[in-house]
Amino acid sequence: MRKSLVALTLAAAAVPMLIGVAGLPRPGDGSAPAHTHVVARYIAEGAQETGAGNLVTGVLLNYRAFDTFGEVMVIFAALAAVMAVLMPAAPSRPAGTPGNGTGGLQVSPVVAFIVRLTAPFIAIFGAFVIFKGHVSPGGGFQGGVILGALLMLLSVVMGRGMQAPLVPVRLARWLQASAPLAFAGVACLGLALTGTLLGYPAAPEMALVRELMMIVLELGIGIGGAAIILGLFLAMRGD
Amino acid sequence: MAGLWQNIDYAAFVALFCIGLYMIMAKQNLIKKLLGLNIMETAVFAFIVTSGMVDGGNAPIVAPGATGPFASPLPHALILTGIVVAVSITALALSLIIEIYRQCGTIEADELKGAE
Repeated sequence: MRKSLVALTLAAAAVPMLIGVAGLPRPGDGSAPAHTHVVARYIAEGAQETGAGNLVTGVLLNYRAFDTFGEVMVIFAALAAVMAVLMPAAPSRPAGTPGNGTGGLQVSPVVAFIVRLTAPFIAIFGAFVIFKGHVSPGGGFQGGVILGALLMLLSVVMGRGMQAPLVPVRLARWLQASAPLAFAGVACLGLALTGTLLGYPAAPEMALVRELMMIVLELGIGIGGAAIILGLFLAMRGD
Repeated sequence: MAGLWQNIDYAAFVALFCIGLYMIMAKQNLIKKLLGLNIMETAVFAFIVTSGMVDGGNAPIVAPGATGPFASPLPHALILTGIVVAVSITALALSLIIEIYRQCGTIEADELKGAE
């Protein structure tokens, strides 16, 4: 009974979707709606207008910066919600048994050494992806996730009862909020320069200012992303 | 039918979407349901990114040596936003599952139904 109901629902979902995709333009067709309308202009003039050779970053931080503002608010709100759900329960458990590694799970010295050895290179790669994100593949989110993964690796190796956290808790809160703060700052700068929120000055001699605003956004998103990923990990681990 | 064969890539994403939907409906373990949701999200992301592809197209990065045609940057930017939202959903759902386990001692949906 239950299985037939599941099969029926799956068929009811799949058949309309299959009929729908059968009527779509062929993937790769240059005249499909995904390549006309605004996209043609983005490709033709985006690099000059935004100063970002990587058009995806240009769309993300310039043409559709409000979307990205909403997106960083979503992930920041997710961190806040995760902390609200998990943090009240944290004091009830014995706070990190010092000297016990990762709480029963001992990390092999080889793994610990290799992680420490590669850490600076991973950090440099993450910073490169953040700072060159507007002219080469990469961007704030990608670089932030690389840095966040590095911090997670390090916190696994360093064990649960980290006596001295990497950054003080009060500073960590500000770092986690750095993406929305960077957006708010750039939005107000845009308001002062052009009269619209998140407006980028269009004059050719302001190209440096445009690029600088974009780097500030990338940096805020990158640092905020790394701090939020680490915060999520630590909250779920119960630190 | 000819249209479906020509859009076989999209049909594969429909299949992936249905696999995720099946997991959500048929599995009782909450983590498995969450994995199913992630598979559904992946299917949607792959579908939209594929729609931005163009024959013989390069990555939409305008550099001195790069020549067109370029893939459409708009689906990529939209999906980057979507991926971040999907991560947020996964994190929040996982934390709720952890809390359910702490409170009820189980994450099987049918056992939870009996426990209330």
